[in-house]
Amino acid sequence: MSLSPWLAGRPHNRPDEVHDSMLQQERTALAWERTAFAAIVAGLLYIRFASDWHPLLTLIGFGQVFFGGGLLIWAGYHYDELHGPLRAGASPVHPTATRAVGWVTTVFIGGATVAAVAAVALGL
Amino acid sequence: MYPSVVHSKLMPRSTEDLQSYLPPQFRARVFVGDPRDHGDDPDYRFTLANERTFLAWIRTSLALAAGGLGAVTILNDFPGEEVLGLGLLALSFLTAATSYRRWAIIEKSMRLSQPLPPSKLPLLMGIGVGLVSVVAAVLFAFGSVGG
Repeated sequence: MSLSPWLAGRPHNRPDEVHDSMLQQERTALAWERTAFAAIVAGLLYIRFASDWHPLLTLIGFGQVFFGGGLLIWAGYHYDELHGPLRAGASPVHPTATRAVGWVTTVFIGGATVAAVAAVALGL
Repeated sequence: MYPSVVHSKLMPRSTEDLQSYLPPQFRARVFVGDPRDHGDDPDYRFTLANERTFLAWIRTSLALAAGGLGAVTILNDFPGEEVLGLGLLALSFLTAATSYRRWAIIEKSMRLSQPLPPSKLPLLMGIGVGLVSVVAAVLFAFGSVGG
């Protein structure tokens, strides 16, 4: 079985004319992916540090790493899915995605801050 | 039987119910609604630019968190270095907590063709990170002289 149809993407999503010549969509997809990488790295760093404090505290970091991984996959999928709607003139606004990233990042950093304060206070 | 007890008037059933317990002014400031409820779709390039800016703020907050965690756990050169790390973590939390609200307000402004609201956060971040850097540099210098 040839991989070329898969690599070329689904036909209805492929651009058939010059569109988005400033590559806004691709730059945005890369920004999503960089953010997912940053989320994963921050989660891994936190796991490394929190493992010295208490094993249970690492759960926050695992959650962040899994969220970052899911975000990375979603970013690629979303990029592929957005070609057609963008060419048709639909708005790419996605409040659910931004809300999820905003809340998860806030909860992760809040949890990491509380854990760090507790570690400092308890002298861990 | 059990659900009727659990879902009493005192027990919020949804985020909307939960928000109804909060003062209206606080609710309006923290829980900004869906920007799609207002105005018309702007040029898709503006929407994507707003999205990239939001993501840049999220990455900034994650970088600050990584720096803060590193300062708390790795630096052991002088007493009090934990405070620097906790300061960075607090700045990181503030950045992350305000990023979605900022994105939604800008999106709403663009949909209503209104001027984009200014933000104090870049200035606050500059002052905060600058302050932490200067204090860290001074402490490092004293630490190396004393050591």
